Amino acid sequence: MANVLDLRRRIRSVKNTRQITKAMKMVSAAKLRRAQERAMQARPYAQMLTSVLESLVRRTDLINDVGDIMHPLLVEREEKNVLIIVVAGDKGFAGGFNSNITKAAQKFIDERRSLGQNLDLEPVGKKAIGAYKKRYPAATYEHKEEIYDNELSKHIEDIRHRADPIEVSFEHPTLLLRTNFDDVTAMAHSIIDRYERAEIDSVYIVYNEFKSVIQQRVVVEKLLPIRKLGSHEVTALEEMTEEQKEAAGKAALSAGVSINEPEQSEIEKEAKKFGTSEVDYIFDEAPERLFRHLMPRYVTTQIFHALLESGAAEHAARMTATDAATKNAGDLIDSLSLTMNRVRQAAITKEIIEIVSGAAAL
Amino acid sequence: MADATNNSGLLQVRLVTPDRLLLDVTAAAVELPAMSGYLEALYGAAPLLAELGAGEVRLHGGNSGDQVFFVAWGFVEVLPERVTILAETALHPEEIDLNAAQADLKHGEELWQQAGDDQVKYDEANSVTRVAEEKIASAQGKH
Repeated sequence: MANVLDLRRRIRSVKNTRQITKAMKMVSAAKLRRAQERAMQARPYAQMLTSVLESLVRRTDLINDVGDIMHPLLVEREEKNVLIIVVAGDKGFAGGFNSNITKAAQKFIDERRSLGQNLDLEPVGKKAIGAYKKRYPAATYEHKEEIYDNELSKHIEDIRHRADPIEVSFEHPTLLLRTNFDDVTAMAHSIIDRYERAEIDSVYIVYNEFKSVIQQRVVVEKLLPIRKLGSHEVTALEEMTEEQKEAAGKAALSAGVSINEPEQSEIEKEAKKFGTSEVDYIFDEAPERLFRHLMPRYVTTQIFHALLESGAAEHAARMTATDAATKNAGDLIDSLSLTMNRVRQAAITKEIIEIVSGAAAL
Repeated sequence: MADATNNSGLLQVRLVTPDRLLLDVTAAAVELPAMSGYLEALYGAAPLLAELGAGEVRLHGGNSGDQVFFVAWGFVEVLPERVTILAETALHPEEIDLNAAQADLKHGEELWQQAGDDQVKYDEANSVTRVAEEKIASAQGKH
């Protein structure tokens, strides 16, 4: 049996751990509140963009007189090459957050492979990148430059050579540090460009949807081609279990985070009406032109939205995980203290017996 | 705060960016950098939908005084008593990073040279250059 000193040391160490996990929980709770607020504040813009696009669709024909579809992002092709954006976190210690996402993504990948489709992976966050980088090769592009007109102009093109059915097309390691709209725009443009060049035929995003602490699920959402504006084409891959909900609810309660979905703000309700009044608007430009500029932005906001939700979900997962760790540390301290007291008692009893039997022997 | 049915002759102006609602005030007049040139909205204007290019949104009068914002791409809905602006980027002129803007300008010129006969790339290069030029002009208060 361990001696009292060892046990005392062990208890001290577990107490330190408990203090750290408790601090982590409070930090995660604060970050979660901030992330939730950011996601809320980003909603009016997304809503307005959707409303005005919907309104434009109602007022114009999507197919022109010669039968061409108005925008390349509406064109549907047979899905041969599928791009999938996987949004995980940058750090661990968040319970099953990262593994749930990679598991869900793997399910999707396997399903698509069995249909004979090729896949491009676009991991966001260090954990997702780590999961795919070793397993799948990076996509190779041939960089081509042609100089003509006496070196006055250049033609640059990157040509894709697919060697494997599953490849990692681009990694986004820094996107989550400060989810910034400009960075997301750059990423979305690169993807849209590949879609328009028909290098890929459809785009999906796998991420952790976050409505509130107890309403989360891992989903896969179709981004391209755009079929219907304003409706998210979402398939749930993994729902929260009742146990997880309870643990998350308890953690949220003790950290002072609301478990209810935040109510729609006044501005958000009004955002739905943006560009949709029943009046004859004067259009400053031809609808085709407006469409051409609005569509890529619509895709960008959808990715931005997914990243913000995933960020909130990551903090929520970390809060729940560290809350459980704090509770476990407490339980361990209790049981160790009990053992320590017992050992100490036993030592005292032994000493008394020794003294008594020593005295009796005299 | 005035509500939408006011009769004060003031426009309710909202400026929304991808991050948040940046501005929610009233103004007597709003200047907007539409793609086809600057336009000014006053109370009672005819309903209009327009795309915004790079330039300055200027508010005059109203409860918060004159204000200027640099915007790069946006969308505006003008209704008789309300103006709602969606802006992808919105900055106070003093927030503009002049060095970064100058770097953008150079980048735009490079793109332009590389565009060759590709119309899409050419348009993109032009828009990068235009945003950078407007940014610099706005930062230096040349409008």
